[in-house]
Amino acid sequence: MQTITRLHRTGVGVAPDRTIGDVAKLMSSSGIGTVAVLDGDTLVGIVTDRDLVRRGMARGLGHDARVDGVMSSPVYTVAADADIHDAVEAFGTHAVRRLAVVDGDRFVGIISLDDLLVDLSEDLRRLTSPMALEIDAPQRDSSVPVLR
Amino acid sequence: MRASVGDRLVVRGHRVGEPERDAQVLEVRGDDGGPPFLVRWSEDGHESLVFPGSDAYVEHFEHQQN
Repeated sequence: MQTITRLHRTGVGVAPDRTIGDVAKLMSSSGIGTVAVLDGDTLVGIVTDRDLVRRGMARGLGHDARVDGVMSSPVYTVAADADIHDAVEAFGTHAVRRLAVVDGDRFVGIISLDDLLVDLSEDLRRLTSPMALEIDAPQRDSSVPVLR
Repeated sequence: MRASVGDRLVVRGHRVGEPERDAQVLEVRGDDGGPPFLVRWSEDGHESLVFPGSDAYVEHFEHQQN
């Protein structure tokens, strides 16, 4: 079993009453484009840089609007010790590009579809490399008679 | 991952050419020095809770005993 532990990225958490202007600046300073909205220890939503644009700016919301007005909720989650294939299943089921990683009820990070794809493509490369070698440099058995 | 107040948390860039981001640990909210950490980001002084993932590490500093 291969868990998602090594794949999940750093998560940033903010309170529901933080403003969208504040969250945009936080995304810029942290380099993290997906932010968890936490009411105390409870995960109540997820907001992405795309949400700020589409649900905030595009609808004329000001910088001082609350972040819980543009967040996605409920949040789709995957357990921190989940198998990679469980994460694939969850991405397929919910059709999202980010999942919140949780340990029990506690938010612990974010996993992105991109990271999962890169990891799985590396597995595929390892799996197919013997076949690629065979195609590039075919191994022929010299003892087998060649019919003419 | 464990940290102490005053340590430096570093998050690696996620794309080629993207710089590391760093923050100072202001509070340790988890048990035994574990996350989440309340941090202040170096770039503009914004504060947030952080839950470090595989893309982050902590630089520990010697803390003077008073």
